[in-house]
Amino acid sequence: MEPKILTGSEALALGALRAGVKVVTGYPGTPSTGAITSLLKMDLPGRHVEWSTNEKVAFEIAAGAAWAGQRAMCTMKMSGVNVAYDSLISIAYSGVNGGLVIYVADDPGVSAGMCEQDTRGFALMSDLPILEPATVAEAYDLVPIAFDLSEETGTPVFVRLVTALANSHAVVTVEEPLPPAVREPILERDIAKYTKAGSLICLNQHRDLIARLEKSAAILDRMGINRLRLAESAGGLGVVAAGVVNSYLEEGFEVAAEYGFDREAVSVLEVRASHPFPARQVRKLLAHCGAILVLEELEPYLEQGVIIEAHRAGFEGRIVGKLEGPLGRVGEYGLGQVVEGLADAFGFSIPPGLFQGSTGAETLAAARPITVCAGCPHRGTYLAINQALKKLRFKKDEVMVTGDIGCTILGMNPPFDTVWNEVSMGASISLAQGYFHGGVETPVIATIGDSTFFHGGISGLINAVQHQVPLTLIIMDNGWTAMTGMQVNPGTAGAFQSGGQQVDIAKIIPALGVEHFVEIDPFDLDGSAAAIQEALTLPGVKVVLARQECAIQSARYSKQTRFVRVDAEKCNLCKLCIIQTGCPAIDIGEDTIVIDPSLCDGCGLCAEVCNLDAIVKEPAL
Amino acid sequence: MKYDLYLVGVGGQGVLTIGDVITEAALRSGIPANFYPTKGMAQRGGFVKAQVRMGREMVGPQIPEKGADLAIATELSESLKAVRFLKPGGELVVFGHVWQPTAVMLDKAPYPGLEVVEEQATAAEVTLHYLDPAGVPEIDGRPVPANVYVLGAALGLTRLGKVLDPAAVEGLVVSRWKRGVEANRLAFRAGLEV
Repeated sequence: MEPKILTGSEALALGALRAGVKVVTGYPGTPSTGAITSLLKMDLPGRHVEWSTNEKVAFEIAAGAAWAGQRAMCTMKMSGVNVAYDSLISIAYSGVNGGLVIYVADDPGVSAGMCEQDTRGFALMSDLPILEPATVAEAYDLVPIAFDLSEETGTPVFVRLVTALANSHAVVTVEEPLPPAVREPILERDIAKYTKAGSLICLNQHRDLIARLEKSAAILDRMGINRLRLAESAGGLGVVAAGVVNSYLEEGFEVAAEYGFDREAVSVLEVRASHPFPARQVRKLLAHCGAILVLEELEPYLEQGVIIEAHRAGFEGRIVGKLEGPLGRVGEYGLGQVVEGLADAFGFSIPPGLFQGSTGAETLAAARPITVCAGCPHRGTYLAINQALKKLRFKKDEVMVTGDIGCTILGMNPPFDTVWNEVSMGASISLAQGYFHGGVETPVIATIGDSTFFHGGISGLINAVQHQVPLTLIIMDNGWTAMTGMQVNPGTAGAFQSGGQQVDIAKIIPALGVEHFVEIDPFDLDGSAAAIQEALTLPGVKVVLARQECAIQSARYSKQTRFVRVDAEKCNLCKLCIIQTGCPAIDIGEDTIVIDPSLCDGCGLCAEVCNLDAIVKEPAL
Repeated sequence: MKYDLYLVGVGGQGVLTIGDVITEAALRSGIPANFYPTKGMAQRGGFVKAQVRMGREMVGPQIPEKGADLAIATELSESLKAVRFLKPGGELVVFGHVWQPTAVMLDKAPYPGLEVVEEQATAAEVTLHYLDPAGVPEIDGRPVPANVYVLGAALGLTRLGKVLDPAAVEGLVVSRWKRGVEANRLAFRAGLEV
């Protein structure tokens, strides 16, 4: 036993090792990424860990391993569940042999972009159990329990963290990992279990799935995963709190006590498994209490369950939460929501603005829109798109440039203002086709990154080729899944593939039947702009592949090949380089611009846009 | 002792490292702690914040508004984003480095001066400790790491220095990186003596 400082995602990964997991797959997505990242840094003989092409692929690999009788885990952010769900519901119907755990990180409060979707809703829809640790340490402790539950019932199990836990660092007492159990792989041919061939099979599987959920409920109840503490005296307030919200309860009671709240009279149900619904414990709480407060982030799933049980039990007290009460479905919960709920449910008043500082100061801070890093090759691609449109005499608001997930979306921000929209992995290419069919007569451009193209973009391109939709697809290939912190994807160079093989986008595109395919260097601004300009004037599907390695990775692995310097005689401080590139390495000096050598990667785009030749590109010695 | 620390800055300034070191120092001295960093999406140049909550066995990661004992800002304008998280009577350490967004460089957007930060600190009833970037010493003609300087100053100027033993924090700082031991020691001590 050893205390370690770990993030929630790392604790969860070590929990899986402790459970003897054999196969771990996933697709990067903040804040879930840290689990596989930490495992890939370790030497793990007898186990397989990988970044897969997308979440559906990752889930299917893990499910296959679980069907073969092994313990397997799959990791993703909440958006990934949407991608994996087609297979997930099917596997839920069939059940599993080895333990199968799905780690999902939800993002209430949206610190990493995308929707505030609540994965507990997917657990409800697929009749799968979901465990919700309240702390980083519990993330470690609950994963082995999830594996045991999965194997005992033959059902996949979700473990859900939220951003505040997945990214928090705290002390976890870690035990020695268990090597994967030596199990002969199961090769079982049973179409009634492993196919969906016919209604009889599917209806039976649905019945079995519901029975497995009931069995899970009984096991979770027996294990006491959800902890019920009844106050000595009856008739007081009962609090039901889910997952991370439990970590604010003690502090909330302390604050509330200052306003007359009787913390001795409060009963608490700490929920760490919200589905299957902890009905027996909720009934006990209802029987003991005069009013109930439900504290859960996002959707009122627990609250609805409490209301149903209250109705059945003829409970007449108030049930305070989101449906009736002051709490909301939007954003993260913290101490403020806990105390606000207690005040409403217990009937004390708190001073207005107790947890509300003045936002006056913040409104005076300088706006800091996120932009691409110094040396980022995407900068060159956005500039080239803008330049090509200008040469063709289009105004910016006349040409649709669809965007996609990842660093490439940063082209939506100043100074580029190139990209118009962002939907989901790969949607840029199909959306562009919709705009064409919707009657848009100006050129339609789709932009996408390499990892996103492999993940979900390629099927949209196949569709465009099949239906011969005139569009220009610009694939911005920087060789890495960059925004989530530099993960390997199919297009990453072979040297980083850990024995695997690179899949070359430049070979895929012509094979799909794309007639106009051109590769550009985004640091060659004029050449890139000319290539895009030409593509925009041609019929059919055109693909432009902009290739340069991510600046952060090239700085890490390669020697800088070029430097730029300012010619003080020529620079008249017109600021054109700043206006066009917005590069963080450029600052304003006394009489000239200055370039911070610690930030500059020598991409030379500032020299490309300077019309006084005041910035000079020089090869490194 | 319960002590909540809110950190803000710009990605690339090493603000998360300050939180990391403080958390490790707390845990080593037996104070339970939770460290919750929030990075922006871009690797450099974006808003970064972190929250360190010390002294509770089980603690929610988020500091409520008007809840922090101390806020440390490594960039002048960003310090304004921390003000609403400080409790009245709390302390605000501001390292006066200015990292101008592009729109400010192009005179298209305003950038707040120190007097704005002073006014807002006064309005929020917090004590401001301003650190002049010119105070960062040099070693061999190069400035020492500013984040380590700020960490030292926060321990020297605020009640954080009563919660954590500055000598123990210095020990962590100098053993953390193999390179730059002397630069980090100098940075830390110069900050501590501000």
